[in-house]
Amino acid sequence: MSTMPAHETRPSSEEGDLLDMGDPLAEGDLLDMDTPLAEGDLLDVDDPYEDEDFPPLLRVSDLAVGFSGGKRSTHPLTPLQGVNLSVEEGSAVALVGESGSGKSLTASAVMGMLPAGAEVLRGSVSFEGEEILGASEKHMRELRGSRLAIMFQNPRASLNPVLTVGGQIAEVIRVHEDVKRKESRERAVDLLEQMGIPNPGRRAKDYVHQYSGGMAQRAALAMALSCRPRLLIADEPTTGLDATLQQQVLELVVEQVSERQASLLLITHDIGIVGRTCEQMAVMYAGRVMESGPVEEVLGDPANPYTAELIKSYATVRHGRMNSIPGVVPTLRGPLVECAFADRCPKADEECREGVPALRELGGQRGSDERKVACVKA
Amino acid sequence: MALLAYVARRLAYLLVALFGVTFITFLVTRRLPGNPAALIVGVLADQSTIDAVTERLGLNEPFWSQYYKYMGQLFSGDLGESWFTSNPVTTDIGNRWPATVELASYALALAVLWAVSLGVISALRRRSLSNRLADALSGLGVSVPEFWLGLILLLAFFGTWKIAPAPLGRTLGEIPPDVTGFYTIDALIAGDWGAFRSAAAQLILPTVTLAIVIGAPLLRITRGFMRETMETGHIRFARALGIPRRSIVLRHAIPNVLLPVSTMGAMMYGYLLGGTVLVEVVFAWPGIGSYAVKAIEHSDFAPVQGVVLLSALSYLIVYLTMDILHFVVDPRTRTHS
Repeated sequence: MSTMPAHETRPSSEEGDLLDMGDPLAEGDLLDMDTPLAEGDLLDVDDPYEDEDFPPLLRVSDLAVGFSGGKRSTHPLTPLQGVNLSVEEGSAVALVGESGSGKSLTASAVMGMLPAGAEVLRGSVSFEGEEILGASEKHMRELRGSRLAIMFQNPRASLNPVLTVGGQIAEVIRVHEDVKRKESRERAVDLLEQMGIPNPGRRAKDYVHQYSGGMAQRAALAMALSCRPRLLIADEPTTGLDATLQQQVLELVVEQVSERQASLLLITHDIGIVGRTCEQMAVMYAGRVMESGPVEEVLGDPANPYTAELIKSYATVRHGRMNSIPGVVPTLRGPLVECAFADRCPKADEECREGVPALRELGGQRGSDERKVACVKA
Repeated sequence: MALLAYVARRLAYLLVALFGVTFITFLVTRRLPGNPAALIVGVLADQSTIDAVTERLGLNEPFWSQYYKYMGQLFSGDLGESWFTSNPVTTDIGNRWPATVELASYALALAVLWAVSLGVISALRRRSLSNRLADALSGLGVSVPEFWLGLILLLAFFGTWKIAPAPLGRTLGEIPPDVTGFYTIDALIAGDWGAFRSAAAQLILPTVTLAIVIGAPLLRITRGFMRETMETGHIRFARALGIPRRSIVLRHAIPNVLLPVSTMGAMMYGYLLGGTVLVEVVFAWPGIGSYAVKAIEHSDFAPVQGVVLLSALSYLIVYLTMDILHFVVDPRTRTHS
């Protein structure tokens, strides 16, 4: 009985717990692939924060996303399996994980820009206390770029080759604020200057092919921050840049976000940059958050074996050896029935296969009460 | 400055290409079977008459000496004389060229209109009716030969439904006073609605035929580039910062698509200006394409060389104009950092 709270169950199915063990698919009502999201499902979500006085700026609860793959497809993919994540006002949170763990898809869902064929199966995304999952495209468009912004990797591809850099920044400003063309242009130049671009007046009239990769990412940051968003999602912002530039650009992102008292959600596969940039972190694997909490606690004393393995493989790469975690990230078809890491986990046993471990407070002597882990062994 | 250097370099290429064209057409026409001298004097003439005419035309001289003479004439603006029409080739081409240009220009305009707009719309809406229509029309355009399409349209609109006029050249009514050589425009200048209507009526079917045929590849290119552009990082970034859909399509995506599409359009126009032989024959259109066909039938060297040279020149000039335009419009070539 002691492990029971570690498994994700709904209060309503409490009596059925024992049965659930034998037939994990009975959890199917949580993750029903065939029925698209009904209105009520959005509200009917396990909400561990229900009685908080101050909701976080962004809260993703139990978010599941699947690709139906068309009517004839017999193998629907379910890349997000119930993501729980929150970003407090004014904080910097890192979302870490291997390629394919669902980090970028989570960001797309938050932005309301899921790729074609993807569908929200359940869950909730609240931003500034407002539910935005399933909000109208018009509403999301107003939000994007003004309250909620994102920047991507490969900055030179993020800017339009046939429009001037300054013109692109000015257009974002004009879309969200009622300003004259001239004023928007001036603000674009100011923003470029704030991002440390020399000679901003002239550079605003240049095109992206005249920018280096690092300069282009500064310009993209200017564009993303042009309307003072409350939250910036930086999706691998330094991937594809020279190693010498990565540190500079990262520092600039953190500095500019905190100067505006905004929050940062930094998506990265590079666990090495987390410590220098963020206070909080969440580790994702196979469409779920495996562990979250303050960076120094998670990195110093990982509670989830997956986090420990990730840190170990990072450390060995730095020492010139590759010690990757054996096995591969699973391709998720349909709902999980056990811990997704069980096949690769050195600590896994029968208990790990009895259900999907819920993200719960770690408690006990280890760490602060901000720490959460999704592992029955922790 | 960069532009001047660029134009000078391109003009030099153009001259080299033209020089190559004159050589190849001269070589090919001299290798055609049949002695034009025999055709000129007729079947009843004896060998000495034929020899005399051969001599007079210089056809018995060595190849290089003939070519040298031809190039000399060319530089003084003389394309030679047609043995069949007994007019200077420049006069014949001068009379027929406007017919080809008028048809080619309307066909290009119509093709761009339908193909580019349908290409953009169908790229934005996959699995839509517009997409299926685009598939059908582009499939038809690339798989059906233009003379056959022209005949089918004639059969339907002239033969069966009798709503199109007989395919007998550029107009069945009055020929408007010559200003530009384009009947529709000259008629408008003269304010003669009747002449405009009959000239326009003759233009419709051949224009539609050509517009379908050259619109098909244009449509495919537009749709392909538009789809590709909508998937690019900068479009995603613009969407992620709340840029409205209208601006995404018109301001962010289409300018990126117009560069490759206009290159394709220029190629098509160059092709049309060279005379669309088969369509001109089907519609008895008195352009340079049908002129060249008649000249080949009569081993009439000078007009063939003249037409080939003219089509090569117009192709190269259209292409050059488009490249210069791109050089000016595209920031990637305009500004070198």
